[in-house]
Amino acid sequence: MSDLEYGLLISAVGYCVTLLTLALLHFAFRYLPKLLQLQLRARMRKMGQAVLPGEHLPITGDVSAAIATALYLHLNEAHDDEPVKLTIKKISKSYSPWSSKIFGLSRPLRR
Amino acid sequence: MKKLAAFIAVIVLLSVLHSTFLVANRQQVPTASGPQTMQVQDAPASGDSDKGAVEAVRKFLSFTGFANVKAGNMLMIAVGLLFIFLAVKYEYEPLLLIPIGTGILLGNIPFQSDAGLMIGIYESGSVLNYLYFGVIKGIYPPLIFLGIGAMTDFSSLISNPRLMLLGAAAQIGIFTTFIGALLLGFHPAEAGAIGIIGGADGPTAIFLSSRLANGLNVIGQTINGDPIYVKNLIGPIAIAAYSYMALVPVIQPPIMRLLTTKKERLIRMKPPRAVGRTEKILFPIVGLLLTTFISPSALPLLGMLFFGNLLKESGVTKRLAETSRTALIDIVTIILGLTVGASTQADVFLTPQSIMIFALGAFAFAVSTAGGILFAKVMNLFLKQEDRINPLIGAAGVSAVPDSARVAQVMGLKADPNNHLLMHAMAPNVAGVIGSAVAAGLLLSFLG
Repeated sequence: MSDLEYGLLISAVGYCVTLLTLALLHFAFRYLPKLLQLQLRARMRKMGQAVLPGEHLPITGDVSAAIATALYLHLNEAHDDEPVKLTIKKISKSYSPWSSKIFGLSRPLRR
Repeated sequence: MKKLAAFIAVIVLLSVLHSTFLVANRQQVPTASGPQTMQVQDAPASGDSDKGAVEAVRKFLSFTGFANVKAGNMLMIAVGLLFIFLAVKYEYEPLLLIPIGTGILLGNIPFQSDAGLMIGIYESGSVLNYLYFGVIKGIYPPLIFLGIGAMTDFSSLISNPRLMLLGAAAQIGIFTTFIGALLLGFHPAEAGAIGIIGGADGPTAIFLSSRLANGLNVIGQTINGDPIYVKNLIGPIAIAAYSYMALVPVIQPPIMRLLTTKKERLIRMKPPRAVGRTEKILFPIVGLLLTTFISPSALPLLGMLFFGNLLKESGVTKRLAETSRTALIDIVTIILGLTVGASTQADVFLTPQSIMIFALGAFAFAVSTAGGILFAKVMNLFLKQEDRINPLIGAAGVSAVPDSARVAQVMGLKADPNNHLLMHAMAPNVAGVIGSAVAAGLLLSFLG
């Protein structure tokens, strides 16, 4: 068998096996959630709780993100009620030598 | 204009220095061997100290880089500087290009190779040679995979497992490039190592080339019975793989535009469902067992990848996961990048084979990208309207985490500013890492 023929054989087998490997992984994780749901249902039935309909069990990432954000805001950013009043107020002060810049400057030494 | 003038001035200065030192070197050569050497060396002892001092200076000058520089060194230094420039200016994979660029500079500083200084990467006993040992023996890539596993979230893949097929489909570039390399006259082992560039995964490329094209394996015998060694292609393959990975934002978009219609680019995919902790823990365990049973040769890569992910997802080994995805992967990346860069010494790197490898690498990336996109389009023929896949994410199947996923996101946003594909694209992207490692394992088992 020439190198090229051998290479074609390797390529065909290699590509098919790569596809097959990930296809198997795909099937494993396609049916795994259903298997886990079965287990969950059995446990809930044992506990005498109502079983959720199968189609309601998977929650989309968007919903999870919204719930997580709401919880985060509630738990971490909760603060005291504000009086809903603007507190920005311009205060005019009369001149005072204590706050005058010119008195803050050190005088040069004279010899 | 000023820059050009400065550049020319530097070139002229270097040429003058080079010619000056070369003359000094040539004058020193006759005294370097034979009885005359003894006379010269004895001269200072006999009182002619000036002559001895001149000889010492000449000897020193003959050791400098200016006296030993070749055009190849200058060219490679320019390449190293270009890598550093691309990393700093455009932030193209800076974590890789800065160490590799600096490594290229280190590897191409000219010196007297026969002086026994033990400084070159190919000189036994040198510091760089010790560090390079990890590349030759394929030690660093699995450690990188450990870190990748510890920092990768497989949720998007678990929530939509059919996207794994895109990661497998995009590996077609590996096998077509393998055939292309055979047609160009490479030995099957060398061709296999070159083909893996299509996997768009630096550590996988280094791992496979260190096993198949390391310059050590015997691939035949001459008529006289002397062994024929496989070529050492680790440097060119690694540089090609990392260069094209950095250039993913340049290579992929034209192919994506060419192979998809405007309507296909507008496809909105269903948001991924939330994935439970049990599923996340089971993924590395099932993945490890399934993939390594089929392709045991990929065990060092896939074993470490899934181990790292288990450290992350188990939730009870946070310290180990943290170390794997920060300190460990950073240390290994520094050493790997530096040594791979330093392995590109001009006399080893600048060969016709390297040019062919670069051409094949570009072909591999293009074919892999096209393979992922076309497979997504084929899948859409069999999927319901609401389950359809945006073919742009097929391009992310080439691995090159996370750049190719980012490219899919950018291309998606160009078609529809509200269509975010990043989460979906991450699924074939990480599946591509698994797929390329499986393909590498298969090539190793056939050709190793």
